[in-house]
Amino acid sequence: MSTHMSTHLSTMKWLIRRELWEHKGAFLYAPLAVAAALVLLIGGGFIYGMASSGVIHINAGEGAVMTISGLPPDMVARIAAVAASSYLAITAPLFLVLPVVVFFYCLAALYDDRRDRSILFWKSLPLSDRDTVLSKVATALLVAPLVTVAIGIAAALALLALGLVGGAIRGVNLVAPVLANSNFYLSPLYLLSFLPLYIVWALPTVGWLLLVSSWARSKVFLWAVGAPLVTLALLAWFDFLVARFAGLSLNVKWFGEEVVARVLLGVMPGVWFGESNGAALIDQQAGIDAPMLLAMSYGTLATPGVWIGAAAGCAMIYGAIRLRRWRDEG
Amino acid sequence: MNSVQDAIQGALPDAVQGAVLSARGLRKRYGKQVAVDGIDFEIPAGRIVGLIGPNGSGKTTTLKAALGLIPFEGELSVLGLDPRTQRDALMKDVCFIADVAILPRWLRVGDAVDFVAGVHPRFDRSKAERYIASTRLKPAMKVKEMSKGMIVQLHLALVMAIDARLLVLDEPTLGLDILYRKQFYQNLLEDYFDEGKTIVITTHQVEEIEHILTDLLFIREGRIALAASMEEIGQRYVEVMVPNEKAAAARALQPIDQRAMFGKSVMLFDTQRAGGLSRGQLEALGEVRHPSVADLFVATMKGSYA
Repeated sequence: MSTHMSTHLSTMKWLIRRELWEHKGAFLYAPLAVAAALVLLIGGGFIYGMASSGVIHINAGEGAVMTISGLPPDMVARIAAVAASSYLAITAPLFLVLPVVVFFYCLAALYDDRRDRSILFWKSLPLSDRDTVLSKVATALLVAPLVTVAIGIAAALALLALGLVGGAIRGVNLVAPVLANSNFYLSPLYLLSFLPLYIVWALPTVGWLLLVSSWARSKVFLWAVGAPLVTLALLAWFDFLVARFAGLSLNVKWFGEEVVARVLLGVMPGVWFGESNGAALIDQQAGIDAPMLLAMSYGTLATPGVWIGAAAGCAMIYGAIRLRRWRDEG
Repeated sequence: MNSVQDAIQGALPDAVQGAVLSARGLRKRYGKQVAVDGIDFEIPAGRIVGLIGPNGSGKTTTLKAALGLIPFEGELSVLGLDPRTQRDALMKDVCFIADVAILPRWLRVGDAVDFVAGVHPRFDRSKAERYIASTRLKPAMKVKEMSKGMIVQLHLALVMAIDARLLVLDEPTLGLDILYRKQFYQNLLEDYFDEGKTIVITTHQVEEIEHILTDLLFIREGRIALAASMEEIGQRYVEVMVPNEKAAAARALQPIDQRAMFGKSVMLFDTQRAGGLSRGQLEALGEVRHPSVADLFVATMKGSYA
């Protein structure tokens, strides 16, 4: 039994490695390029700013910029607290790239090898369709976010180090207070704690995209995006007619939010904040209050829609496996 | 001693002692079009079988059914397993090259070897590497940088290193030049085939593989037109070079095919036709020889495109 388990795990490891070989550009080079651009632009601007004006600008996230030049100790402590809790916020652009990468990866995952017929090579090996599809689910929901998080943390640390060294040179030494702040160490963990929630929210989208990817004979993007949107438009039109002539109203808004948004936007990190109280998000003056954000985010799991969506996502993944098993590739 | 062996043989599952592949009433329809029309056949272990038929005759469909790639009706047992429900287990003992040039373009030679070594329990890595070393393939090379012939070499290197009990080759050399084609079959015979293995090949270039085949399976319009071993075929079908003065007498014996060559008629006879025909009768007509598979194929398939 244990050897069976270990060969199974080893097969999964090779399947995921295969996905990384094929999509190295999307999963590795794209976030690396964005991270490099962040470090160069922000870090460069930082150094230039210090050199030219003799003061330090700290980007505290959310567009707030603070200027420091010889400060009282309580101010230094507050700035250090903001830096320690918010330095990861600077990696936000990476988490805008991630959903795009995951979206197009899922669309191509079960389609490209059917198009070039290399599916027949994979199917000539002892790989079950279940393992193949699950390896793609794991790549989309675990590997891609983890790679992005790792690159993001590295870039944020590099920028923070630049800022701290720059500050120290200018006589504002934030190194000790930042390193003494527990949030500095906890921030990466807070970021990682969003991953399970992300997976639950992304499941309906990943499931839908894999289903289309496994089913469509061509034009996967058009089917995946067009079908839900056209359905929504037809429903809205139908709703308009019945409201006008029969005085009834369909809940089109519900369909848009609970179905269309979940199958198309679920891979966006933070999509769950759409269900939260926005005011609490804006009021983050003392840096990012990660525990509050986490509590608010995980609070969205109390709504049944999330779970129904995740279950539908799993069902669609199962559908993708069945389709891949029996689709005749000619 | 014998009875003990018999007892052991009797206890062995069907797959070990009997047919590697057996079909009963195998049927496959695409809509209203019948691709395979209820065929029966058996392929024993240790054979190299040529599955030969014109385009659209159902040979690829038959192979796809055997490999568990499509649903079908009827019974089909491959190494004792049902390819519909036991495909995952079956693929440990079966390998196939479904078509030329189907390796993914982004795959590197070295990664391909690593991957198959990682997922296939019967893969002999050193054998694959030895074969690759004898070609112009380099570990860092990607499939998209290779010629068609090189892609087939890589595919063959991977497949030959897998100790599969059944190897299915569907048009494996289509579009390759003659050097690659010859090398392909030579490698297959010298480095891969042994009595424990079975190979099923479809190809249009029958004349290139007839010397390696042990069995023939002609398929026409979804039905088996001929199923025989090469020895049986050599005994049953006779080609006679008939001089012109004996042509009329020869035609009276109802040849299944005839053509002219060097002022003589080359006639093909089926000695098992209704009424019977002895070898002696044919030898009296002229020089007797074995027909080529290609000629036999043409004679059997006459009217296929009419």
